[in-house]
Amino acid sequence: MSEALGRVVATERKPNTPHEFHFWTAIDSPVGIGTIVRVDGAQPMDGQIPHIYGIIVEGFSYTDLQSPMHDVLGHDGSPTLAGFASTERAEIRLYTAAVLRQIPEEPLQPVPMGQVFLAEEADVQAALRMDGYLREDANTGIPIGVYRAGGTDAVIYLDADFLLGPEAAHLNITGVSGLATKTSAVEWLLASLFKHFPEDKGSIAAVCFNVKGPDLCYLDQPGKVEKSDEALYEKLGVDTKPFESVRYFAPYTAKGLALNTFRNNEALLDNVTPLTWGLREVLQFAEVLLNKDDVDAKADALIDFIKESVVDKEFPADNVLKKSHRVESFADLDAWFRDVLQGLENKNGESWRTHHVATIRKVRNRLSNISTRCAGLVTDSGAVSDLPFGSFGDRTVYVVDVANLEEDAQDLIFARIVSKLREHLERRDLGVKHLVVFVDELNKYAPSDGPDTYVRKMLLDIAERGRYLGLVLFSAQQFRSQVHRRVVGNSGTALYGRMDPDELSTPGYAVLSPATRTKLATLEKGQLMIRHPHFTQPIFVRFPRPAVMQGREGAERYPQANEVTLESAILRALRPLDPSITLGWVQEITALYTEQEVIRARNATLLARPKDVKAYFSSQFRKIIPAQPAQRPMAGSIRSVPENDPYGF
Amino acid sequence: MLVSNSGPDASSRAVLRFLVEQLPGVSLVEGGTSLEPSVTSDPPTLRSATVVEGTALRAVKVPDFSRQTASGFGAFLDGAQKVRVAAHREGIPIVLGTVSAAVRIRVNRRMTTWGHRPPCVERKMYVPLRFLPQLAGLQGLLSSATGSGWEIVDTSGPDRNGEYPSQHPSVLLERAMRAVDQDRQRLEERLAEAWCAKSEAPLFIDGGISGSATVASSSCAVGIVKSHRTLYVEGDALRIVLGLKQGERSSVFRVSPRSRSSVLSWYLRLRGADGRDALWGLVRVEVADCDRPRERADEVSRWVMAEMTPLSLPDGRWDKMAYGVRDCEEFLRAIS
Repeated sequence: MSEALGRVVATERKPNTPHEFHFWTAIDSPVGIGTIVRVDGAQPMDGQIPHIYGIIVEGFSYTDLQSPMHDVLGHDGSPTLAGFASTERAEIRLYTAAVLRQIPEEPLQPVPMGQVFLAEEADVQAALRMDGYLREDANTGIPIGVYRAGGTDAVIYLDADFLLGPEAAHLNITGVSGLATKTSAVEWLLASLFKHFPEDKGSIAAVCFNVKGPDLCYLDQPGKVEKSDEALYEKLGVDTKPFESVRYFAPYTAKGLALNTFRNNEALLDNVTPLTWGLREVLQFAEVLLNKDDVDAKADALIDFIKESVVDKEFPADNVLKKSHRVESFADLDAWFRDVLQGLENKNGESWRTHHVATIRKVRNRLSNISTRCAGLVTDSGAVSDLPFGSFGDRTVYVVDVANLEEDAQDLIFARIVSKLREHLERRDLGVKHLVVFVDELNKYAPSDGPDTYVRKMLLDIAERGRYLGLVLFSAQQFRSQVHRRVVGNSGTALYGRMDPDELSTPGYAVLSPATRTKLATLEKGQLMIRHPHFTQPIFVRFPRPAVMQGREGAERYPQANEVTLESAILRALRPLDPSITLGWVQEITALYTEQEVIRARNATLLARPKDVKAYFSSQFRKIIPAQPAQRPMAGSIRSVPENDPYGF
Repeated sequence: MLVSNSGPDASSRAVLRFLVEQLPGVSLVEGGTSLEPSVTSDPPTLRSATVVEGTALRAVKVPDFSRQTASGFGAFLDGAQKVRVAAHREGIPIVLGTVSAAVRIRVNRRMTTWGHRPPCVERKMYVPLRFLPQLAGLQGLLSSATGSGWEIVDTSGPDRNGEYPSQHPSVLLERAMRAVDQDRQRLEERLAEAWCAKSEAPLFIDGGISGSATVASSSCAVGIVKSHRTLYVEGDALRIVLGLKQGERSSVFRVSPRSRSSVLSWYLRLRGADGRDALWGLVRVEVADCDRPRERADEVSRWVMAEMTPLSLPDGRWDKMAYGVRDCEEFLRAIS
């Protein structure tokens, strides 16, 4: 057993309580804010020596000096002379610790006087109640980092049942921007989760929305791992390698030639899939894109009518419509609108099927506008390229890169993908049993104030009911205080990186001691404060830098491709499917066709991923018989007629 | 030397219970009555001494002293006593006294308790058994009742002239107080002798060193006397001593008290007395006899002056008290 490092003290002014105690240590004692200690009581209770575990939350230091003026006088007002004094004043290091656990737990009494010891690894497990879920027969521990203090290195585990459900679920990370703590922590935690999530609990995958920068764009590429981090990886039982299975999804740019992602370098395109949706997919979530102030009940009714009775159905001609329609794309829908409005105009009518012409015009305007606002994602043609709902792979990360998209498109993608995930998880046919959804910038998507958007409602729904489905939200933001209370409140686990002092001054952090808040404001990169249902107090841990390529390094090594010519774009898209394709071949095949036709052919090929790429791509074009130069008819010989022949013709 | 009074602790309460049980009619004193040292102090006197540095006593500027001067003291010794009148029976006072002493050594400029000899703490009940014979022979009962080594001390024995004290409560109190003083001095001397036997480094002793022949002859013991009930100067010499400026000392003289050992001594002004009383910042230093008293006095004076910081505030004797002595007192206050 190690030597005692302190003694519990209590005075009438500063008594100990069942949840807090005070102790002093030697000046050079290796303890500080966040250190876990153990108190051994002096008197047995029911034949058992009580053990109390606590974490230091506040520290005091003072001398026997009664007034600062005495020190000034003692050194003749010269600070340099103070260094020559023969004796240092008696000085105390007095700490306040919050109780983590008392053994025995009943009867719960104020912390007794006793010796204080630095917590060893077994003490840390007991203090944080980790012994309850690290049993050999039922180990649900997920390593999150290492607690370090005074020579003690103890792995801190989260309980998978409380991280991914069903007991509690969800995780929220807060921290200032620019230190890469939030993203790094999530990358590390996913790696740990994939490695340690118990096999008997089923399969697990993650969908990450990359909402800014290139940080999540190189998860399958190895990154630099420092020696010190290698030791951490070893201790935490996680391999120092990038994710083995990662798939990327990104829409096209507005022009439709290149993928709108940081990861559109040709060398990385093999696992990047275009994300394109047609009318059917978008109309289902039209309300995400439509301004509620603009679209009233009448417009809603018309949109519902279109969804129910027009899209994907044979819509017959009537007294207004000239012809029957089958609406499968935005182009078809526009044709349908044109026919309706033309018919009304011709008949000088004001309404059609109870819908006023003004409402019809307004809805046409708004819906047609979507394909423009979400160009690259929404296709006029109706071509769909989507996440593999129904065949999600175990331990696979699906990254949806929406970083370069307009807000509307981001909202649409977010709303639709999460809704689909939820639907599939409800039906138990997603392909995996548990799914982690990572969303950064929660300030933006689920703000504590502002309008009640579709996205926020959906996030609230996940936060409150997702754990029953296996749908778990890992969220991050800079300012936790600005996120909806029900979202962060339902996060069973909360991580805190370095915090902004202004944020720390908000009421949500009042439960933390001033010293803990100060430590939070000065946390190093790679350090986190953790709150978890099993931990009665926040714990500070270190985690290793993720073994994946960091965003900045990736962006330098694999620069984002610029907009290229149509032929080059086609080449880059198809070459990962068939390396024998050349620019000359693409030029030859596409020379006769419009840009729209070429892009449609490319999209169809990428979606089908055929064995014979060249043949499939070529077959997408309509037959055009090359123009033949007109044969000049042979001029017939002119019959010569004698000038003087009066009967000749 | 620290004198303090406080309410009864758990150990004292056990003694009080013992008294109530064993001494019918005893009257406990609520809150205790403090016994000030002045009660037993001798009246202020002037006494002549033999000058050994030169022919007449004079003021000497302590040479080569600056604020950077290092102190040669390696440890500090002080004693403490807690005294209270706990009870009386028919006017006969029963006094509880706790005496303690400790050596605190300085390691890397920080004070810590000397490991070779632990601090001493003694708790005693001072009773004139001549007038309270019921308590005689109850030492064993007291020990088992308190469990903390309380001892009964008879304060009504004959003095060196064979005279017994009267039953006057003040006389009995004075006897008790003197016994407590003697016990404390004995503890201090015991520790000082132990230190001198080890001879590790110069020891700063709060008070004189002439009480023990061993200590009085040891080159590693330096006594610093803060109280001046007896001034070892008369006439012009008195004016010179009272007129010492900050950083000045008197010539070295020899002090040879009766029944005590002879030591070398000198006065030293630690702090300027302008605007203060004449004894402000004035201490008397005692060292063992030596061949070169001048050099020894200069050296030890520099050490004592180097102990002027940090200040011993808020102690009222901060003008004369070294911080190491205050540290001893605080330590003894904590353990006794």
